[in-house]
Amino acid sequence: MTVVAVEPPHAEDVPRRLADRPTPADRFFFLFTRAGGLSVLVLMGLVGAFLTYRAGKALEQANIAFLTTEAWEPDSGNFGIAAVLVGTLLIAGVAILIAFPLAAGTALYISEYAPRRLRSTLISLVDLMAAIPSVVYGLWGFFLLQPHMLVVGQEGNGLVRWLATYLGWIPLFAVDGADPGDPLSTATVYTSSTFIAGVVVALMIAPVMCSVMREVFSQAPVGEREGAYALGTTRWGMIRAVVLPFGRAGMIGGTMLGLGRALGETIAVYLIISPIFVIQPHILQNGASSISSLIALRYGEASGFGTSALMAAGLALFLITLLVNVLASAVVNRSRSGAVTG
Amino acid sequence: MTRLRLRPTTSVKEVSFLRRLSRVCAAVAVVLVGSPLAAGPAAAESYVRISGSGSSWSFNALNAWIAGVDQLGMRVDYDPSGSSVGREAFKNGTADYGVSEIPYGITDAGQPDPPPTRKYAYMPIVAGGSAFMYNLKVGATRITNLRLSGETLTKIFTGAITQWSDPAIKADNPGLTLPPRRIVPVVRSDGSGSTAQFTTWMASQYPSLWNAYCASAGRSTPCGTTSIYPVKAGSGFTAQSGSLGVAGYVKQETAEGAITYVEYSYALDTNFPVVKVLNKAGYYVEPTADNVAVALTEARINQDESSPLYLTQQLEGVYGNADPRSYPLSSYSYMILPLQTDKTFTKEKGHTLADFAFYFLCDGQQTMPRLGFSPLPRNLVQAGFEQVTRIPNLDDAQPPDISRCNNPTFSSSGENLLAQNAPMPADCDKQGPLQCGEGTGGAEEATPVAPEASGGEGAPAGDGGTAAGGEASAGGAAAGGPATGGAVGAGGTGVPVAGGTGATGGAPGSTGAGGSSTSGGTGAGAAPVVVDPDTGEVISGGGTAGAAGVGASAAGGTAAGGALAGAAGTGGTTTAGGTATTVGAAGAAGGGAVGGGVTQLAGAIPVSAAAAGGWGQRESLMALSALLLFATVLLPPLAAQLLARRKAGSR
Repeated sequence: MTVVAVEPPHAEDVPRRLADRPTPADRFFFLFTRAGGLSVLVLMGLVGAFLTYRAGKALEQANIAFLTTEAWEPDSGNFGIAAVLVGTLLIAGVAILIAFPLAAGTALYISEYAPRRLRSTLISLVDLMAAIPSVVYGLWGFFLLQPHMLVVGQEGNGLVRWLATYLGWIPLFAVDGADPGDPLSTATVYTSSTFIAGVVVALMIAPVMCSVMREVFSQAPVGEREGAYALGTTRWGMIRAVVLPFGRAGMIGGTMLGLGRALGETIAVYLIISPIFVIQPHILQNGASSISSLIALRYGEASGFGTSALMAAGLALFLITLLVNVLASAVVNRSRSGAVTG
Repeated sequence: MTRLRLRPTTSVKEVSFLRRLSRVCAAVAVVLVGSPLAAGPAAAESYVRISGSGSSWSFNALNAWIAGVDQLGMRVDYDPSGSSVGREAFKNGTADYGVSEIPYGITDAGQPDPPPTRKYAYMPIVAGGSAFMYNLKVGATRITNLRLSGETLTKIFTGAITQWSDPAIKADNPGLTLPPRRIVPVVRSDGSGSTAQFTTWMASQYPSLWNAYCASAGRSTPCGTTSIYPVKAGSGFTAQSGSLGVAGYVKQETAEGAITYVEYSYALDTNFPVVKVLNKAGYYVEPTADNVAVALTEARINQDESSPLYLTQQLEGVYGNADPRSYPLSSYSYMILPLQTDKTFTKEKGHTLADFAFYFLCDGQQTMPRLGFSPLPRNLVQAGFEQVTRIPNLDDAQPPDISRCNNPTFSSSGENLLAQNAPMPADCDKQGPLQCGEGTGGAEEATPVAPEASGGEGAPAGDGGTAAGGEASAGGAAAGGPATGGAVGAGGTGVPVAGGTGATGGAPGSTGAGGSSTSGGTGAGAAPVVVDPDTGEVISGGGTAGAAGVGASAAGGTAAGGALAGAAGTGGTTTAGGTATTVGAAGAAGGGAVGGGVTQLAGAIPVSAAAAGGWGQRESLMALSALLLFATVLLPPLAAQLLARRKAGSR
């Protein structure tokens, strides 16, 4: 960029005015990037406006009951997102609880412990996991994870049954209709549940979370690391004193990013759950729901009004995801590593 | 929105391969002879790709046809995402053709389904039976001959019957003793023609049961036909999307006790049995091509050519068909054809669609019985040809010569040959004290039935039961007694099955020994548990033995009751049926020695036959893909390292 000093008209003691005359290339680049940035905002706005416009008919009819009704029968006017919204949050919650330790541990190992020659292999392995399409995760969950790892055989042996048997006194883990003492009780009560969908979604979001966290961990200042070592800490001590405090924002930001993806995950959840339209707080029990899988399930066959109702559900999901992402960026920006990376 | 494209199943592929082979042979023959026999379009003809959407009920049939026209140069896509999606996609113009079991304009759960504004017509494409596929075992034996009346079926799918041991099910199955296992009805979660067919039948035959359930699930009554099955939360129902989804769910080992409604071909594909449903003549029948053809002779087809509902079906006559061979839940599946061109549907597409339709109405019908469908009768094929000529296309589409179609239903007299020649059901399929043992659907193996229900002259009903029971307790004591002391013979309450009696018609006495019940492991022998040898049901618990002990003994009792009997009954000779699985090594060894059968030791869980080992094509492919995966992951960093080293070395 060229800066040209303009001669003041009078030779008085005033600060001279600076004017920059950007070259055409500069100007083009500036406009191009600004247009790119603005178009993201415009697109988001358009999506929001479109959803609101299409949802209008349904929202008008349902009014406030849209937030409190559990059933989903738009054609008879009885519909609301109470059940699907809770279901979505539960699935995302399970996913985050599983994915967070997994991602944080993997990221720490890769950035701090892994031998140098193994590191790039591990990184590409994690990136490969992130590149697998979600329908593959869904099929894998339905045909392998559920019948062969979590609910095995006619007794339904596995983690789910164990949790239900020993932690069933906690309402969250209770399973209606399960009786561990009866050898003939059916194992299907443990299948197609919030928990199994959550596990699959966790495996899908963990690589993304891991990438963000690893990036932040690896940027912890070398001087501080060396300083910690110089004061005689162990490696774990250094990680606790330097890497984790520095990377806290990255961890939170990565988790929020994962949460956003978990909330919107569609096809993997669609394949696994058995959709029901009541608030189902028992996460191990057959029957779950989520907004995005509801839309996938009903969109193709919906009538005009049904589509409007689905759009309203989509609008709710859009707003929640937007909120999560705004929170994430706020947290990341306010922190030290966020200032470095952001 | 993402929808899955499903790949054809292996069997369909094989069939299509065979068809292709025969086509090639035919083509060679034609070239050699040099006669202009080839009625179909020449391979050089160019076709525009068309795509459709709809029913997964008839997906297996369409899949075979699509594979069949592939070598004619036609590219036809089909998305089996459900009839409701198909009707909607056709209405919006996103699909060139739709496939649905129900027409437009019916009221679905009280809501009308408006027809599209574009001109359209219906055409029957294939017939089939809505089958009830189930997954049920007694011990290690899979039940393959279950029979149910319509009322029992309705009660199962409306939550009124929740246990397999329910007296109503027992009344339908005198030869079986079913465990007190929970019934898990598996329904479709998406809008589907299968659900519509099934609910139409329930609404027509058992309206009070159906409406009561519908009301309790929060729907307004009268419920009538609905495409989306109402599911009550916490009622033990499971909803899955697509026919493949429900069939895939039921076949899982976890899903024992599950039952679903799905087209017959899915049960054939997954090698699972289907329910024999009671018809109005008092026979329990299976939805084979023959029985479906017989039932549909009573279908009322709309013959008014000016009506938009021309050729659609009214099935009340089918439900009430009094022929002993008729399967009550039979129906036709329909294709929705566009009758006008518009932005998306051109005459070129019409040309492809017309030739595709001519193919499947004529040649395509031959293979249908093998896939689990029933071919169309002559009058409907003829009517279908006329409908197809109404599709706007390039030239005047000429239907193939109907006499060359080789359709198994055609006869010179115009009668439906398949229906005429359908075999009468066996006597043991008649409602009453007898029950057939043969497997149904895709499950070939027979299920042994109780001697009094197997129709053998050696065992009159009622009498044979006690005789066999007496011997059973002896067998149990001999098996368990000398070995551990902890084992308790508890046989004799029910009648276990004698191997081979079902097939041979009852060897004299049919000595169904067995029914030994060992308590949970040799270590926990202090707490004897009495277990019903047939079903594994715990009759009197072992008090303080604890859950693990109860579980183990029940499992052992089940296995011994079901399987040991075959070996013991044959009097010392080892037969194929005599594989005994039991708990406790010593007790089992004793039982094996006495019975002379093959004894298999196992843990607390009764095991079914182990899968055959070996290294097949699938394993090689998996190894190859694992290798490729490793290469993708390892090679880039290795190459990078190598390059970096070389650069460092050259410096």
